Amino acid sequence: MPDIPLPPGFTALKLTQARRAFESALGAGKVFFEDLDRVGYHDKFAVNDTAHLPAGAIGPTTVEEVQAALKVANQFRLPVWPISRGKNLGYGATAPLMSGSVVMDLSGMKKIVFDEEFGTVLLEPGVGFYDLYDYIQARKLPYWLSTPGNSWGSVIGNALDRGVGYTPYGENTKNLCGLEVVLPTGEVVRTGMGAFKGAPTWGAYPFGFGPAWDQLFVQSNFGIVTKANMWLMPEPESLMGMDVEFDRPEDLKPLVDVIGPLRRERVLQQSPSIGNWMRAAAVATRRGEWTDKPGALDGSVIDAIRKRFGLGWWGVSLRVYGREAVNKASYAILEKAMKAIGPLSLKPTTWVKGQPMEFSGWTGTPITFPMQSANWYGGRGGHIGFSPIIPQSGTAALAQFQRTYARYKEYGMDYQGSFAFGERHLVNVNAMIFNKDDPAMMARIDPFFRQLVADAKAQGYGEYRTHLDYMDLVADSYDWNGGALRRLNERVKDALDPNGILAPGKSGIWPKGQGRRK
Amino acid sequence: MKRLVAGAVLLAGAAAIAQGPAPLPKPETRASRPTATGGEALYLEHCAMCHGPNGMGTGLLARRVQPALLEERKGLGAAFVIAVARNGIGNMPAIPRGEVSDAEMKAIAGYLAAGPHAK
Repeated sequence: MPDIPLPPGFTALKLTQARRAFESALGAGKVFFEDLDRVGYHDKFAVNDTAHLPAGAIGPTTVEEVQAALKVANQFRLPVWPISRGKNLGYGATAPLMSGSVVMDLSGMKKIVFDEEFGTVLLEPGVGFYDLYDYIQARKLPYWLSTPGNSWGSVIGNALDRGVGYTPYGENTKNLCGLEVVLPTGEVVRTGMGAFKGAPTWGAYPFGFGPAWDQLFVQSNFGIVTKANMWLMPEPESLMGMDVEFDRPEDLKPLVDVIGPLRRERVLQQSPSIGNWMRAAAVATRRGEWTDKPGALDGSVIDAIRKRFGLGWWGVSLRVYGREAVNKASYAILEKAMKAIGPLSLKPTTWVKGQPMEFSGWTGTPITFPMQSANWYGGRGGHIGFSPIIPQSGTAALAQFQRTYARYKEYGMDYQGSFAFGERHLVNVNAMIFNKDDPAMMARIDPFFRQLVADAKAQGYGEYRTHLDYMDLVADSYDWNGGALRRLNERVKDALDPNGILAPGKSGIWPKGQGRRK
Repeated sequence: MKRLVAGAVLLAGAAAIAQGPAPLPKPETRASRPTATGGEALYLEHCAMCHGPNGMGTGLLARRVQPALLEERKGLGAAFVIAVARNGIGNMPAIPRGEVSDAEMKAIAGYLAAGPHAK
């Protein structure tokens, strides 16, 4: 039997005692400490398979059971790593940051309370996008989801990790409206109007009175979110837009500078993403179909990919949602703007309520097939992403692309990059697809990633989200005033989690005496 | 599967990258088969997102085996299904017991082992 990963300061006997205490609190059917369970909660896309190994897992299904589990964790000073559904592949998925932690799997918490009049929904963390889609379909409710490209995961888990979707409600974390949170000490709090006993407006007004705490529990280890209200988009009367291709790498600059003002002005209310040819190739095909040459793809292969799929060097899809009369006016503005910068192709698309619907992310339909890109190199594929926040400027975007593309070539990796709009920023998503059965490639991933972090840091660009391996590295890059934000986070952590049992190291936040605070 | 990606809507990391119209089939969930029970209902709830007509698992299996839809396969052994699901395979992550219980997994495996199922 392989050795069981132990938390710092633990013996196998102490872990067994903690396991029995969990069984007593939750029932043996919700406690998972077999070898197969440690396989089950491993990070499938890990670059380093020897890191982030859980000791076991527990699966509370009620708020009271979450409290009971935390009581055991505090009693034994045992680190617990909560996951909603653990499908954020590329960021760590089901695995804990610190080996020896016990995963708290909230997949079994699947309650949905839907306000059909106002389009708000109170969700537990185990509710996946497919579950909520199914709920809406079964009841024929006039609302659309905002789904990410891998919709296997949890709706509120995605929002709590600042994931994004394709519709005007695409910045999912902004659609949180009041949470229920179990603090590390076991106390349950509700934020926003949920703090007001009996208020019918918990899902309607996000702030309540006084400080608003929702974002305190996003990408943090300050509490376990057991319920969250979210807003859903009313089904629009009309959806219009266009898919536009551009021929040259340099076209990125005018694209950003033309789309940016339209986004800021809110003619565009969803967040377009400018991406390169690789996305189609990596989903539809494997690399071996194109070339057997090592190193980054050369120009002839890129040309062949573009030709087969009818792509430019960059492509972008723009969509407008809502009343048809408004959309027609907005569409005309967008079309004029795009044609003015010389697209390679421009393909309009239109839909009106009652017509057959396109089942894609544009209509809030859950999807998983984009994850086929993990199979690009063959073998046991995976990916991580490097995603710095950069200014919404064509000059900045082009320079960032040129720097990053040069690094992909230097490290011999195929470039899959995109520039996704927020209202005032761009997220430059760089996917690193890899083959875990290629040791030489895998040895390049970590130095490559660290190089990109350093390059971005030199420009003042920091990541918005990262894999378990790089949480300390990225947190350290937020270094104004000697890392004042990190020190604040640590003070909050020490106050809320005096025993340091909840998700040590999450987002670079360590309890006193652990990790880099030893 | 080429038709699924002809318009290429895909994701890198967590950020949306989309391009082109995507003539995709509607996802299959429990709502699409309201009379489903037992292993079939559990399959729709826990597996169809990847192994339905528009799923990652179907797309990847189509590269090496036909039919790619698990429900249309014959000769899938229940023990094999459970072993693959619990350990993961290829690009498929393992399905842990906190997500799908042993009893649920057994019912799903039994349903697939009884296939192929006509649609």
